Amino acid sequence: MPDVNVMPIESLDHFRADARVWLEANIPSQSAPLEGPESRAFVLEWQRRMFQGGWAGLTWPSEYGGRSLSVAQQIVWFEEYARSGAPSTHNASFVGINHAGPTIIACGSEEQKAFHLPRILSGDVIWCQGFSEPGSGSDLASLRTRGRVEGDEIVIDGHKIWSSYADIADYQELLIRTDPDSSRHRGLTWLICPMVLPGITVRPIKTMAGPAKFCEVFYDQVRVPIAEAVVGGIGQGWQTAMATLSFERGTASLALQISLVEKVERLASDCTDPTIAPRLADLRADAAALKAMSYSFALASENGTPGAEGSLIRLYFAELAKRASDLAVDLYGIGAPELAGEHGWAFEYLDAFSETIAGGTAEIQRNIIGERVLGLPKGKA
Amino acid sequence: MDFEPNENQTAILDGLEQLISSQHVEAPKEGVLVAYSASLDAELAASGFLDIAREEDFTLLDAALVVERLARLPVSAEVAFSALVGPLFPAGSVQRPFALVSGNPLAPARFLTEARTLLVDQGDELLVIDVDPSRVQHIESLFAYPYGKLASLDGLPLRKMGAELAAAVRRRWRLALAVEGAGLMQSAIDTVVDHVTNRFQFNRPLGSFQAIQHRLAMAAGKQQSARWLALRAAWADSEADCALAAGYVQDAIPTLVYDLHQFCGAMGLTLEFPLHFWTYRLKAMLGELGGSSAQARAAAVATWPDAA
Repeated sequence: MPDVNVMPIESLDHFRADARVWLEANIPSQSAPLEGPESRAFVLEWQRRMFQGGWAGLTWPSEYGGRSLSVAQQIVWFEEYARSGAPSTHNASFVGINHAGPTIIACGSEEQKAFHLPRILSGDVIWCQGFSEPGSGSDLASLRTRGRVEGDEIVIDGHKIWSSYADIADYQELLIRTDPDSSRHRGLTWLICPMVLPGITVRPIKTMAGPAKFCEVFYDQVRVPIAEAVVGGIGQGWQTAMATLSFERGTASLALQISLVEKVERLASDCTDPTIAPRLADLRADAAALKAMSYSFALASENGTPGAEGSLIRLYFAELAKRASDLAVDLYGIGAPELAGEHGWAFEYLDAFSETIAGGTAEIQRNIIGERVLGLPKGKA
Repeated sequence: MDFEPNENQTAILDGLEQLISSQHVEAPKEGVLVAYSASLDAELAASGFLDIAREEDFTLLDAALVVERLARLPVSAEVAFSALVGPLFPAGSVQRPFALVSGNPLAPARFLTEARTLLVDQGDELLVIDVDPSRVQHIESLFAYPYGKLASLDGLPLRKMGAELAAAVRRRWRLALAVEGAGLMQSAIDTVVDHVTNRFQFNRPLGSFQAIQHRLAMAAGKQQSARWLALRAAWADSEADCALAAGYVQDAIPTLVYDLHQFCGAMGLTLEFPLHFWTYRLKAMLGELGGSSAQARAAAVATWPDAA
């Protein structure tokens, strides 16, 4: 598939060559474990290696451990990363790298940036997300986990769910209600919650794809220091959370989107079945469109918080990822080596169901596209 | 036309409910990737439900109703092949449970780990292989049925049968896909309707949102269509009807499975939620006999042999 001509790729040739050489020399020989302490050790070691090689946090500010490079260079790195077969970026480091870190860059204090950002990039810590609750999924603003301000601390009681990798995480981006008299979007606070604090209990949940990566998290009188933990101000949590979700729905999946385009090309090269070829042709067209849209959006979002248009691309990617894995199962057939194992297409097929759930369901993304991209009247919730 | 069960069918289904009740068939408490019940399989065989199509005064349609009802359970047993394909063979000439594959006899097959007979559709002939369980390799799959494959055919008793029987097996295999698929769809939809009725977001049941209502209504339409096509195929037992019904089910599966999981949110992605007991199995059936486009082609050939 030809490159989409939206940036001066030629000027990045040396950068691309360096990335390719480094990846060829450094890709782990063993496959990535999907859950538990082994997953943590693998992910941190790989992140550490990329950081030491100068390939972590390419667009993050250099004063916090990044390299202050351009989005175009980031894209080239992701292209080479996908081409090389390096471990999926959809792993335990995803939250820290793709939306907790960017939220701290956008909304955090200098102390928070100086403390947390280098640790995320250098492979010292794992982050998880604590937004959803058993009764608050798509309706995030109805969340009930509460925090009581006591002196210079907030005391947390409540219950979060769908917190991927919470069992192996060091920190959580946690959204709670700190004003007991508030409702909906008001009175919320976005916290950095250390997962080792007394009063935190984590229960892993097995997904239908196999691994127990989802978790429930229970908070019983958990005390966090306000100065270190609160990002964006007490009671300002909704605004901070919207920044997080803008990254999650906007640019967080860029590496995965590029990887998907690469995978579709591999499927095309393996397809000899005339009954599947027409579906694959459609898939390639969608992949080419995804590539153009995601590059254009990422370049336009340089140095800022992504806009609502990110939902359009996020949804397009999510549905394409599901169709690609669906086709792969049909193409190779049950029992084929391409389907087997923890990273085979059978796992990808089942894991891809989460793409239209996580970070806002497809229905929520469509609401955002309708109301904030197309400017349609807001419906009654 | 009569769309109500007749006296025989009512008696069969009542008896089947009693058997299901006596077996205390429940979804596994712990999440499992394969939910196969050997005890249910044995009880069904012993009680004669899998041989109904062989009995005087009973028909293939009666057997199809049994298959459809049992597909709605959260555990699987080798029902559809025994009840619908098995009667093509003289009683006692082949042993159940059955496994079926197209083309390559060494390809992975549903139920082969449990099977005593492997039927291999090779187009112009049918291989009937007596299966020695010790020769079957278990295959890890994420699609609920027990899967296995033979490492080789060396020394296994093998009979070659003619094209006519091969075509009949292929026809009944399509019927089995259609009938079982319709039953699986029904339970999957029931599970989701219950969830969206009781799960509230934005102070409303999820099922009150039109975005969900409309797509669930479409799923219900697909299921009803699939069911009646499957039952018509069982009644007619014709090439065209069986191919059409199987193709319809296979064509409906991807969208239906994705939508049903979508409406259950993250809960629907876990092994703690029962939906996967049916959707895993639907996905496993999707590609059999070449998938929906191959069934459509077969239906066209059977209906318009000159044009196709």
